Amino acid sequence: MKPKPYGALKKTILTCMILVPFIPFILVLGIGYYNFTASLEGATISTMKRIVEDHRQMIESFLNERSGDLKYILDSYPFDVLRHTENLQRVFENLRKVSQAFVDLGIFNADGLHVAYVGPFQLTGRSYGQSPWFQEVIKKGYYISDVFLGYRQIPHFIIAVAKEDSDQRWVIRATIDTHRFNELVKSVRIGKTGEAYLLDADGTFQTERRSGGTLMQKDAERYRYGTSHEGIKTFIDNDVQGQTYLYATTWLKDKSWLLVVRQEKSDAFKSLQNATYVIVMISVLGGAGIVAVAFFLTGRIIRRMERMDAEKDQLGQQLIRASRLAEIGEMAAGFAHEINNPLQIIKNEYTLIDMILAELKEKGQLRETEDVTELQDSLDQIHKQVERCATITQAILKFGRKSESVPQDLDLPAFIPEVTEMVAKKASVHGIAIKQNISQRLNLVHVDPGQLQQVLLNLYNNAIDAIIERHGSAGGELSIEADAISNAHVEIRVTDNGSGIRSENLKKIFTPFFTTKPVGKGTGLGLAVCYGIIAKMGGEMTVDSQENVGTTFSIRIPAAV
Amino acid sequence: MEKIKIMLVDDEERFLSTTKKLLIKKGYETLTATSGAEALETLKQKNIHVVILDVKMPGMDGIETLKEIKRQFPLVEVIMLTGHATVESAIDGLKSGATDYLMKPTGIEELLEKVEEAFEKRLRLEEKIRLAQTRKFMKSPREILRES
Repeated sequence: MKPKPYGALKKTILTCMILVPFIPFILVLGIGYYNFTASLEGATISTMKRIVEDHRQMIESFLNERSGDLKYILDSYPFDVLRHTENLQRVFENLRKVSQAFVDLGIFNADGLHVAYVGPFQLTGRSYGQSPWFQEVIKKGYYISDVFLGYRQIPHFIIAVAKEDSDQRWVIRATIDTHRFNELVKSVRIGKTGEAYLLDADGTFQTERRSGGTLMQKDAERYRYGTSHEGIKTFIDNDVQGQTYLYATTWLKDKSWLLVVRQEKSDAFKSLQNATYVIVMISVLGGAGIVAVAFFLTGRIIRRMERMDAEKDQLGQQLIRASRLAEIGEMAAGFAHEINNPLQIIKNEYTLIDMILAELKEKGQLRETEDVTELQDSLDQIHKQVERCATITQAILKFGRKSESVPQDLDLPAFIPEVTEMVAKKASVHGIAIKQNISQRLNLVHVDPGQLQQVLLNLYNNAIDAIIERHGSAGGELSIEADAISNAHVEIRVTDNGSGIRSENLKKIFTPFFTTKPVGKGTGLGLAVCYGIIAKMGGEMTVDSQENVGTTFSIRIPAAV
Repeated sequence: MEKIKIMLVDDEERFLSTTKKLLIKKGYETLTATSGAEALETLKQKNIHVVILDVKMPGMDGIETLKEIKRQFPLVEVIMLTGHATVESAIDGLKSGATDYLMKPTGIEELLEKVEEAFEKRLRLEEKIRLAQTRKFMKSPREILRES
C-alpha cells in the first residue's frame, strides 16, 4: 500500500480541533478574568474608601470631642474661677480623666495674656496677643492648629476655644499629645502594608507614617494628592522609591488636613494576584488538555482513515483478482475447447497410424528394423504428449467451468481428519509427521464437502511436495489446525516446514497458470481453483510463507447460520 | 447379430474421415455428416443405430440437432461428443435424450465402448417394443389390422 498524503489533512484537523475549543476557552477565561478583576478591584477600592471614611470620622470626632471638652469647661466655669491656677489645676485633672490626650491647659484674657497655665512648661505671663492662632480663635470662636514646634521646640498642636461673656472675652487652650494623636491616626490596619497619615495643606506630615516619614517633615509625594477636593479620591501611583501604592485621600478639618490611607498595590490586590495565578494555571492546564486531546483524536482519526484505506485497497485487489480470475477462466475454457478439437484429430490420426503399422507388421510387409522401432517410439511419444495436452485442457476446463456446488452443513472436526486420512499414507512414505489440532467446539459450516475436500487435498499435496523438496524423506512436518476466530468465522490453517515460497512469488501464488513445479508436473491452476472455491463460499484464503522455513495457508470460511 | 451402423456428425472433415477409417477397420458400418441438416437427411434414408454428435457446430448446433433427431427418430441412440467439459452442456444433452456423452479428445476404444452400450440399449428397447406389440396383437388382433 502506498502511504497516503494525510499530512495536510492531519494539520487541518489538528488546527481545527485546537482552535475551535481554544477560542471560546480563551474568550471565556479572558472575559471572566476581566470581570472578576474589575469587581475585585472595585471591591478593594471601595473597602479602601470605607476605611478612609471611617478613619476620617474617627479623627474628626476625636477633635470634636476635645474641643467639646474645652467648651464644656468654658461653659461650666466663669473666667474668675479659672484664672486661678489651683482651680485650673483641678479642672485639668478632671479633664485628664476624660481624655489622656490633653498635655496642658491654659486660660487667656482678651489681650492674649496667658493668665493661668497647668502643664509641664512655665508659660504663665506670656502674651499671645499677636499670635495668628489667637487672632483666629477670637475671630472664629475655636481653632485647631497644625503641628508646630512653638516655644517648646517639640511638635505639638493645640485646640483653642473662645468665650464671649457679658463683660469680657476669654480663651481656653489645650495642647494635644501628638504621640497619642499619632497612634490614633496610625491605628489603621489593612493587610500587611496598609497605613494612614495626616498631611497639612503644605504636605507636611502631621502624624508619622509607618513606612517612613517623620513628623513635621515634608512628604515627598505631597504633589500627587492635588488640591483640596470634596469627598474621597482614590488612585494608584508610584512613590519616590518606585513602589506602587493604592491611595485613598480625603480632606478633613475644614480642608486644612489631608488624611491619606495607602496600601502597596501588590498587597491590596493580593487576592487579585491569586486569582490571576489560578487563571493562568487553568489556561495552561486547559490548553495542554485541549492540545493533548486534539493530538489524540487526530491520531485516531488518521489511523482509522489509513486502516479504511488499507481495507479498501485490499478489497479492490480482491475484486481485481476475482474479476481477473473469471476473465482468465472464461478465456482459458474457450481456449481449451478449441485445443481439444485438434487434439482429437491428432489422437485419431495416431490411432490410425498405429493400427496400420500393426496391420503391416501382421501381414509381414514391414520388417522389425531399427527404423521401424524408432518410428514406433516416436509414435508412442505423440500419444504421450497428446495425453499430456489432454490433462492440461481438462484441468483448464475444470477451472473455467462454473460448477454448481451443493452446500450442506458440515462438521469440520469430523470432516477434516477424514480428508487428512487420504494423504496419510503418502505422507508416511515420505517420513512426514502429521499433527492435527482441531478445536472440537467449531461451529458447523455450510459448504460443498467435495469442494472443501478438493481445496484441502490441494493444500496437503502442495505441502507434501514442498516438504519433499526441502527434507527428502525424513523430518517433514505437516500440521493442520482449525479453530473459531469469531462466532461467525472458522479458520483452517495448513502449515508445512517445507521449502517455502519466495516473497516475489507470494503475490502471484493464486494467479492461474503460475507454477514453480517442473514442466509437466503442475498446471498452475490448483491454488487458483482453491482460491475461487473459497471466495465463492464467502470465505478468504491467505498465505504466509518464509523461504526455507515453511508455509501456512489459512482458510477463513463463514459459519453456518 | 445385426451389424452396428454408426453415423459421425462433426464439422471437422479430417476428424470424420480418419475416424470413419478407424471404425471401418474395427468392423463397423460408418457414415458421416458435416452438419446437423445433413445428418437428418441421411437418417431419413438409412437405418442408423447410433449417432455420435459433436456439440459445437456451425449452423444447427449439437443440441438442436439432437432434439430434432429425437423428435423424428426416437429410436436412434445419440452420443454427444464435446470439447467442453461443462456439466451444464452434458446435462442439457442428457435431458434432451442423449444416451451418453464423451469428452474430446477421446480414444477409439472408449468411443466404441459407449457405442456398444448404446446399441445394446437400443436392442433392449426394440425387444420391449416388439414384446408390447405382440401382447397388443394377442389382446385385440382387430386393432392391429386396423393400424396396418
